Amino acid sequence: MKNQAHAPRVATVRPSAPDSALRRGLRRPRTLVGLVIVAVCVVLGLLAPVLSPYSPLDQSFGALQRLSLAHPLGTDELGRDLLARVLYGIRVDVVVAVFAIPIGALLGCSLGMLSANDRWYGTLLQRTFDLMLAFTALVMGMLIAALVGSGMPAVILTVALVNVPLFGRITRSAVMGQLSRDYAVAAQVLGVSRARLMLRHILPNSVDALIVQAALSFSMAVFIEGAMSFVGIGVRPPDPSLGSTLKASINFLGQVPAYSLAPMVVVTLLVLGFNLVSDGLNQALLKR
Amino acid sequence: MTPSPATTPEPVLQVRGLSTRFHTGRGTVRAVDDVSFDVRRGETLGLVGESGSGKSVTAMSLLNLVRKPGHVEAGEIRFRGRDILAMSDRELRGIRGNGLSMVFQDPMSSLNPIMRIGDQIVEAIHGKGRTTPSQARERAVRLMELVGIPDPTLRLSDYPHRFSGGMRQRVMIAMALANEPDVIIADEPTTALDVTVQAQILDILGDINRRLGTAIILITHNLGVVARSCDRVAVMYAGRIVEQARTAELFASPRHPYTQALLAATPRLLASRSQALMPIEGQPPNLIDVPPGCAFAPRCRFADATCRQQSPPTTDFGERSFACWRTAGGAALPDISRSSVRPLTVLPRTQTGPSSIARPEPGPGDPPNLLEVRDLVVRFAMPSAA
Repeated sequence: MKNQAHAPRVATVRPSAPDSALRRGLRRPRTLVGLVIVAVCVVLGLLAPVLSPYSPLDQSFGALQRLSLAHPLGTDELGRDLLARVLYGIRVDVVVAVFAIPIGALLGCSLGMLSANDRWYGTLLQRTFDLMLAFTALVMGMLIAALVGSGMPAVILTVALVNVPLFGRITRSAVMGQLSRDYAVAAQVLGVSRARLMLRHILPNSVDALIVQAALSFSMAVFIEGAMSFVGIGVRPPDPSLGSTLKASINFLGQVPAYSLAPMVVVTLLVLGFNLVSDGLNQALLKR
Repeated sequence: MTPSPATTPEPVLQVRGLSTRFHTGRGTVRAVDDVSFDVRRGETLGLVGESGSGKSVTAMSLLNLVRKPGHVEAGEIRFRGRDILAMSDRELRGIRGNGLSMVFQDPMSSLNPIMRIGDQIVEAIHGKGRTTPSQARERAVRLMELVGIPDPTLRLSDYPHRFSGGMRQRVMIAMALANEPDVIIADEPTTALDVTVQAQILDILGDINRRLGTAIILITHNLGVVARSCDRVAVMYAGRIVEQARTAELFASPRHPYTQALLAATPRLLASRSQALMPIEGQPPNLIDVPPGCAFAPRCRFADATCRQQSPPTTDFGERSFACWRTAGGAALPDISRSSVRPLTVLPRTQTGPSSIARPEPGPGDPPNLLEVRDLVVRFAMPSAA
């Protein structure tokens, strides 16, 4: 083979952005499918007043109607439009997630960082987290409902509280992992203060694990709201919610099977969607 | 201790009887044992020893940054006359980076991967306050120039992953220099780098040492590095300093058998072929239960009963000190390089036809090439200079 004089083909390499792991994670098929599912559900929920011609509280239709053009999902036992109730029910979950998860995450991260920095507090907090994790979300919800009364505040408080130990543990382990890295030692050698080290170096480097947990927490929020409303300690009766709608539909499973279908499918889709997002991000961000 | 002669500058760092232990489940590791040395203003002190001899733990002890389960058990580290081990966290932060600074072995992991280089240097400067952001940025640019980073203004806003290992080590040195410390501890600063880059990094350190008068403690296991960069050398073995001397003296006449063995085991470019390398037989002792006597005795060709039973005291001749029973009286060690103990056989180079570079054109029967590269050019698009 003779070495002919090729004109050199010039490849120009554009430097990649440093946050490409997150972008890679967001581009994974799994994440994309999850995001699409979640986005469709959430948009439907947010646009409920536009999409639904009826109020979810309007009882002026015939009870337990089957699927029809006027009521695509039928009506419930009190003659309320089910499509409206399901769409407004999604809104409830959005509200719960948007309020509760930041509270839980913030509290959990702060306590997690504290417990990674101080041996005594660390032990105390980790054992407290163990204790909190020993209660299932529903038991925790019952406890809180007993204290503050059932309703949205109880649901938000429960979701927030359930998230505290989860974020707390993940933050602690991520922070401890980062603290032993050379750059953290180097920063200390150069005289960077502990607070600055934590907030400017360690926390931004630990954020991957927190993002994955946050996606998982969203799916949990939907689940907890559903469960609490299902057993009657969540959203109060006239207000629509996926959990309470599902609960009511159980009594009519034999007569109107379609009644239970919509809330069931939506809860499943939301949980599935957030889990897919979390899983996809997990593969890109944390599995090395 | 003999008082140092009037001609030598006063020590900026004095270490006396430093002992650092690690309490583990299997016992107490004596990582650093009764180590004493001085660092004078503007000098370069080499700290040499094999892996696990306590060099890095000594360095971390100097900054009081030994991690659990380790802790400094005894000793005194006087920096500008004040004991570092007795300082509060706040005082320590004032010393770290400001008076005592450090460059680490692995530049690939010593920078925060998600923070711009400029911000990291500025942080090192800013950590001590008293500068405006624009002053700090200017200083960052000057520091980057000082350590030989091209286009410093442009590269300030780059992330570490866009720097090569050698460039990152330059950044680390710039950061260590940020507050003009009196002493920089360089913990194997060239071990993770290419040979050509090693020389550049050593040159930069030497340059800083001469121009700014910064004292450097150079930790290394490479005697070649010591020979080219250090004024004085301390040789560590099993957590102790076994010999300390001016570099030339140490190389000319080692007084500790370990130093001698180390020199005999080091290949030299100009040495004749017949001069074989002499490996040091055996392993360093387990630091959990160090045998009584001299730690090197089991591997020492000159060891006798005394060596195996009692730990040798450090004999101090001012500039020079060593811990060996055999040379304590001032006697020189017998030369081992000419004794024919287990020399490595040097094989004559075999002649096997033309070298592989001038390979003939592949014939028709030859397997096809797996990979062919012809005229490959790769360019990186840089943001244009603003």
